[in-house]
Parts: sequence; C-alpha cells; structure tokens
Amino acid sequence: MSKRQVTLEAIAALLILLFLYAGVSKFLEFDRFIGEMNNQPFPNSWTPFLVWTIPSFEIIIPLALMFERTRLPALIASFILMTLFTMYTGSVLLHFFAYVPCSCGGVIRKLSWPQHMVFNLFFVALSVLGIVLQRRKFYPSIFITKKNLV
Amino acid sequence: MKKIKWTLMILAVALSIGGALATRLHQDCQGATQYYSNGGVYVLAGRLGIDYICNTPSSAVCTYYKVGTTYMPCMWGNYCTSNCKVGNPAPKKAKN
Repeated sequence: MSKRQVTLEAIAALLILLFLYAGVSKFLEFDRFIGEMNNQPFPNSWTPFLVWTIPSFEIIIPLALMFERTRLPALIASFILMTLFTMYTGSVLLHFFAYVPCSCGGVIRKLSWPQHMVFNLFFVALSVLGIVLQRRKFYPSIFITKKNLV
Repeated sequence: MKKIKWTLMILAVALSIGGALATRLHQDCQGATQYYSNGGVYVLAGRLGIDYICNTPSSAVCTYYKVGTTYMPCMWGNYCTSNCKVGNPAPKKAKN
C-alpha cells in the first residue's frame, strides 16, 4: 500500500466519520433538527426539503466514499457540501443574518462559530487533498512529475 | 491492502454510528412536554422553533422534561422567545 493510498484511505475514513456521525445524529434527534431548521434564516417552507436532503446527503456521501468507483464523485460532493457549510459559517461570523442559529448534529453543535469555521476549513482542505490524490491515481498522466520529464 | 482499507472503513462507520448513539441527548426527551426554568418555577416552554429556541453553543440548560415529579434537563442552550439579538436568536413565529 503506497503512502498516497494510505493518505487517501485516511481522508475517506475521516470524512465518513464526520458525515455519518452528523447525518445519523440528525435522524436520531429529528424533531429537534426540524425545530432548529425552522430557526434558520430561510423561509419555513424550505424546512421539509432541507430536513430530508441534508442528512440524506450526509449518509449517501460516506457510502459512496467506501467504494473505489464512486469515491471521486463522493469527494467532490463532500467538498461542495463542506464549502456550503463554510460559506454559511462565514456569513454568520460576518453578521449577515439577524440571528445566529445552529442545527448541527450531535456534539458538533457545541462548537462556537469561530471553532466551526476552523473545523469546516479543515474538512474542506481534506476534501481537496482527497480529490487531488484520487484524480492523480486515475489520471497520472495529467500531472507532471519528475518521471514524466525524464 | 484491501484488509487495511476495509478495517479503516468499518472502524469509521462503527465510530460514527456508535458516537451518534452515545452523544444522543436524553432519549426521546424531546417528545415529552418541555418546560423552562423561570426563577426555579417550571413553565411550559411551547413549541421549539416557533415559540422558543435554544441558542447554542451554551452550557446552560434550555428546557426540562418531567420524569415523575422531577424535572430533568433535556436541551442545552439559552432559552429565547423574543427580542433576541445576534448570538441570541429569536424564534420565527408560525406562518399562516
């Protein structure tokens, strides 16, 4: 197992841990999650859609991360989702909203907003690294390496 | 190689599901009637997200539920109903 492969597996495992934990926590405390979603600065009519799509994605992404064939789309999806969460956290920190709600799963809701920002950025960076490593694995020729030059 | 991969994956899945179950708040307490403490007197809290919200992160007890004659903590955060500023959100009123 190459160093790159080990890194990829570790990244996938960390993302699985994050998304599956958050998704399962939301489903376990679904009533609370609905209440918290009603507090988001979006129209309440969005709640039925959001309460199902967000945790569903958080469960589908880890499943897709487990298999080689679906790993790249899953890494891209996790990058998009984490970027959206990070943008939302950034908007909260910049006081774009009149109030600051949190509808995170499990213990993640105990983080302060600046801690959330660092946490999210870490996972955005992990997703980017995962995408780069996974692409390099399947399309090595598009990356210029010393070997290619010789 | 596959062994290491699947060991890691299974470990991640087990930890996340186990963690979610372990850190789940008092089981089903949110299905019970919620109260908040108003100077030691327990008052009906109303509907979460409509009448009140629990502003997190906070280590304060937001709402309680009744077990027999005892009030047990259920949700954490600052209990807030109206005139809440940034960092202390206000609940949305029911739309109809």
